[in-house]
Amino acid sequence: MLSRLRNMFRAPDLRNKILFTILIIAIYRVGAHLPVPYVDFSAIKDLQNNAEQNGGVVGLLDLFAGGAITNVAIFFLGIMPYITASIIMQLLGVVIPKLEEWRQEGQVGQKKITQWTRYLTIGLAILQSTGFAFALHNGNSALGFSGFEGRDLIPDWSLGVALMIILTWTAGTALVMWLAELITQRGIGNGMSILIFASVVSRLPAQGGALWAEGSRAQFVVILLIGLAMIVGIVFVESGQRRIPVQFAKRVVGRRMYGGQSTYIPLKVNQSGVIPVIFASSILAFPALIASALGNSATGVQEWINGNLVEGQGWFYITFYTLLIIFFSYFYTAIAFNPQQQADIIRKQGGFIPGIRPGPPTERYLAKVLNRITLPGSLFLAVIAITPLLVFALWDINQFPFGGTSLLITVGVALETMKQIDSQLMMRNYEGFLS
Amino acid sequence: MINAIVIGIQVLSALTLIFLILLHSGRGGGLSDMFGGGQLGGSMAGSTVVERNLDRLTVVTAIIFVFASVILALRVA
Repeated sequence: MLSRLRNMFRAPDLRNKILFTILIIAIYRVGAHLPVPYVDFSAIKDLQNNAEQNGGVVGLLDLFAGGAITNVAIFFLGIMPYITASIIMQLLGVVIPKLEEWRQEGQVGQKKITQWTRYLTIGLAILQSTGFAFALHNGNSALGFSGFEGRDLIPDWSLGVALMIILTWTAGTALVMWLAELITQRGIGNGMSILIFASVVSRLPAQGGALWAEGSRAQFVVILLIGLAMIVGIVFVESGQRRIPVQFAKRVVGRRMYGGQSTYIPLKVNQSGVIPVIFASSILAFPALIASALGNSATGVQEWINGNLVEGQGWFYITFYTLLIIFFSYFYTAIAFNPQQQADIIRKQGGFIPGIRPGPPTERYLAKVLNRITLPGSLFLAVIAITPLLVFALWDINQFPFGGTSLLITVGVALETMKQIDSQLMMRNYEGFLS
Repeated sequence: MINAIVIGIQVLSALTLIFLILLHSGRGGGLSDMFGGGQLGGSMAGSTVVERNLDRLTVVTAIIFVFASVILALRVA
């Protein structure tokens, strides 16, 4: 293991990539602590002391933004608008024919979609920062800042100040988006997931400390053990795959013989990784955000949302969350792996799955297998995400409400990045982590 | 007076920053390769002269923006 770590730093371009990624993460973390002008600092300090108890929307957003929310930092919105924009684009892709067309165009179309995602990100950032600016000014309780009802975080309120803050947050979001792209482009791993990973990991010590403070020692140990068991489970399921054998026909071109070998298509049990969890939790954050933007005019709606969608321990929240996770697992798998396309590729390369005719039967077979293995995969995701909520609800602990989500993201991204580093090492014939 | 100048710089740099970042062609690939299935594109870093200059310009603007924000935050606090 250690020698592999050394190898990682021996290859110059891999080393540069890793160092670059670390540099970007460092910049991102600094930005999550730089305060925005015109916000009341002393109030922020109070807010931070309560931060760990913030479940609900703010807790979740704060988790994804690595504490930028409770710092009221320049990177206040973090990577969230980008994620939301991506979800919207993916969902719209099914509805709007033009987007569908673009997606089928491959690289060029993908580029167009990405560009529109970026525009949408900026739009969403403006919307969200406007909502948040007003919420911070009104001391709106719908956000779930505990103990901050009616407190004004932006005392010198005027139109200019509001515009200024909105502009700063929007620019911050754009900057975060660019940082993520830089990582994807020049660093290691996928930028968006690396940044979320960094944010989530940065919250772990504080959350652990809060857990230690609130629960008894025995409970703490049990929670740690559950956490360990979950990590093992996540690694196990993430690397689980069904291998569908593919046999290639021999063919003779000139005097040489090609093909004749057999390979397999790896179908992961959890094809979509942790995306369903991230999608589901961001969708759950929507209503509360809207409610907070509505202000105090719609009290009944707001109360209902507060009771059922902000607190993570009600049965409504848990059921809805589970259903969303399962839905997005299927949805995303359908987007990521197209049986028809796959069947086509196999047929064109002169391959076949033993016992199944090429063409439509292969397609149907692949779709059937995929559907069957996605169900346990999605159920597993849901169970991991829900377990901490249930355990904490049983013990009346309000800390760490997104423990399952955090763990899933952390382990998922770590595995993915490890695989990428590994494949880079493989190119240089070093032994990797995973062998 | 100084506040006004800093506010001016801050607003200007923020607007420029958003504009410049939107000028970049997104290489993130969106969600398609997020958390899995990410194909390694090798070092496909954009290295046309235009892009490198755009990168430099963006970095400079970002630095100005961040410093302006912090200075402003310290001044109005």
